[in-house]
Amino acid sequence: MPVIVMASPKGGVGKSTCAVLLASEFARMKADVTVLDCDPNKSLTRWASHGLPAGVTLKSEIGRSEIVPTIRSADGDGKIVIVDLEGVASQLVSRAISQADLVIVPMQPTALDAEIGSEALALVREEEEALGRSIRHAVVLTKTSAAVKSRVQKELEEQLRGAGIDVIEPSLVARAAFSELFAYGGDLTAMMNDPEMMTGGKVDKALINAQAFAEAVYERLK
Amino acid sequence: MSGSNRLAGLKARPKDTTVEEVRRVDEVGEARGFLDRTPRKKPGRKPSPRTYQLHPKVFPEVGEAIATEAERLGVTQGQLVEKMWDLYKSSHID
Repeated sequence: MPVIVMASPKGGVGKSTCAVLLASEFARMKADVTVLDCDPNKSLTRWASHGLPAGVTLKSEIGRSEIVPTIRSADGDGKIVIVDLEGVASQLVSRAISQADLVIVPMQPTALDAEIGSEALALVREEEEALGRSIRHAVVLTKTSAAVKSRVQKELEEQLRGAGIDVIEPSLVARAAFSELFAYGGDLTAMMNDPEMMTGGKVDKALINAQAFAEAVYERLK
Repeated sequence: MSGSNRLAGLKARPKDTTVEEVRRVDEVGEARGFLDRTPRKKPGRKPSPRTYQLHPKVFPEVGEAIATEAERLGVTQGQLVEKMWDLYKSSHID
């Protein structure tokens, strides 16, 4: 089963959010999902501490020397493996990328994110050359505006596509529900159905966005 | 997405993970600044666990009693032993 790696040497771009949304959506599709939390900030471990959706297993505190065997053992169980990496340029990142069937590089539509995120894209391409096999990779723009597509976002999408980089549509919109998942645990469906969960945003729209994102990722894994 | 397990048909691409391949991946990463950032362990000997043993010849219950009294007074066991020595000196030596 496929291994999906969230990679960007920049922190705060939405790697953990992407990982949580994909894990919960794939689990909702009845897949067994193993999530590897390799981020020292332990965002996914915090999310899991409030309750994991059915079908999702979490493994945390995975370092550079454990990443390859851990991915391989999880992969061997017939599960989808989602790897959330630290937001730094480390060997842990380069080793995880080498095991990926799809590398997703989340990027906010800003020049800084694009510049630092492009390091991950360049690394994927160099690993492809070194290993003599292709490693599918794509960018997803995150924390985008729900109302309008900004000029910066349009230009960035054009530049990425112009450089032959796959850009996942839809982008992940800045939704309060996405960040609140880390406070409540579980998934967006549970959040929407629980009247006691206080969210500052539209969970239904967040869920539609997450489902469309997961569908776009699924299409890239076929 | 439907609730059926469409994902069951997904396959992973075969990937070699030989030592040589991992070394090549490390080299490519290092050339781009993706370095080994594993936190280094704190140097030096780890502190010994507390045994409450003041001297090899002190019975454990005596050691524990001294440790408890030192804790109650908010001083170290060494400071308590020093006080005891002062008392001993004043009554037996001075």
